[in-house]
Amino acid sequence: MSIEEDIVTRAIKGDGEAFAQLYEERFDKIYRYVYLKVGNEAEAEDLTQEVFVKALEAIASYKWRNSPFNSWLFRIAHNRVIDYFRKEGKVEKVALEDDIALPSESNPALAAEREIEIQEVIKNIEKLSPAQREVISLRFGSELSTAEVAKVLRKNTGTVKALQYNAIVALRKMLPSGR
Amino acid sequence: MSQKSEDIFNECLEQILKGESIEYCFKAYPEQASELEPLLKTAATFIRKSSAIQPAPECKARVYSRLQAMFYARQEKAQRRVRIPIWHRKWALAMTAILGFLLIGVGTVAASAYVLPDEPLYAVKLAGEQVRLTLTFSDTDKAKLHIQFAGRRAVEIAEMGSQGKGDEISALIEQFANHLGQVYGVGNMDELVESGVKAPAATLAPAGETEAFEEGGDKGELEKMLSDSRELSLDVLENALEKAPQATKASLEQAIEIVTIDYDRAIYDLRNSAG
Repeated sequence: MSIEEDIVTRAIKGDGEAFAQLYEERFDKIYRYVYLKVGNEAEAEDLTQEVFVKALEAIASYKWRNSPFNSWLFRIAHNRVIDYFRKEGKVEKVALEDDIALPSESNPALAAEREIEIQEVIKNIEKLSPAQREVISLRFGSELSTAEVAKVLRKNTGTVKALQYNAIVALRKMLPSGR
Repeated sequence: MSQKSEDIFNECLEQILKGESIEYCFKAYPEQASELEPLLKTAATFIRKSSAIQPAPECKARVYSRLQAMFYARQEKAQRRVRIPIWHRKWALAMTAILGFLLIGVGTVAASAYVLPDEPLYAVKLAGEQVRLTLTFSDTDKAKLHIQFAGRRAVEIAEMGSQGKGDEISALIEQFANHLGQVYGVGNMDELVESGVKAPAATLAPAGETEAFEEGGDKGELEKMLSDSRELSLDVLENALEKAPQATKASLEQAIEIVTIDYDRAIYDLRNSAG
């Protein structure tokens, strides 16, 4: 049994410490994925919380053999984001914030630079097709493997690789200087 | 692009995500280097820029606190199920308490499970806890509830501290200490003996004998609960301390000190109680 499998198994049995470890290791990645999808800090925070609440409620029913834990967790996030757009009656289109709040930065110039970079990322991702955006958010935002992305999106890995490649080509055209 | 090139691009991307440089991929696939270069640079740029998206530390701590409260609530729910056979005892008291529940509104009590001391439903939360203690007749179960409620107070201290609301902390510490103080009071109980658990001869018991005692029975279970609660509470408090504004750091540090001492004392007292 791998270390991760051991932690997940303990979390399934109600071990709070194990769940806390899973939370600690994945919170930022789930948040980044959600943020790239909704483009709004407050919504991303709420949705990320809902993902982990749902995960805590449902973890007892999680079966390792059906899919890796990451895929299971990101599937919850994926479904939650879909629900969000459906309930809000919003078209899945990234809503750019006027002022993106960043973690407190001691260097204001660096903070401003990072803010501009994030805005660029979101603005460019918005121009991709929904499927490409999904793959890019999971691959670049959350650093999931192609196999994990395929499980989350219920596509085969070949399709994921094609979506990924086409997305990169499109993004490349948006950044002709290769910045 | 051929399937092979797509695979190569993906393979290179995997390596970049693992921390390898783009140059590593060029060396690994020299024939495709010119084709891969602009695409991988674009990918690397997006990975780097995306990594700047970070949740606010206070958000992470807040969600953690909520999850911890949920976790405690689930443990309590599981215990409630086990406790059903007590229905035949002390009917009058139980019915009075149930009536109290109905009057307050079960929904309100449930909704109050996660509220914080500065929120309107907090009094309902405390009343709900008191009703549960009143409705619980087993000393062991009472002790378990006190441990859980002490854990709740620790989470609330952390949340208040991280929100810069230091005024609430001292009262919460007092409530926390009261709950832990009750664990030994009710934990030093007859039913441990009734359930066939052999009490150790306080600190004089040989280590092996003490361990055997702790592993079985209600007392061992209480000690495990105390240890788990101690770890979770200190974890959440230390997490809060890192994120707390300067104004509440001292209060949180003091809380951590007291919480540590009180848990250790409760565990020591329980372990060395005559049972």
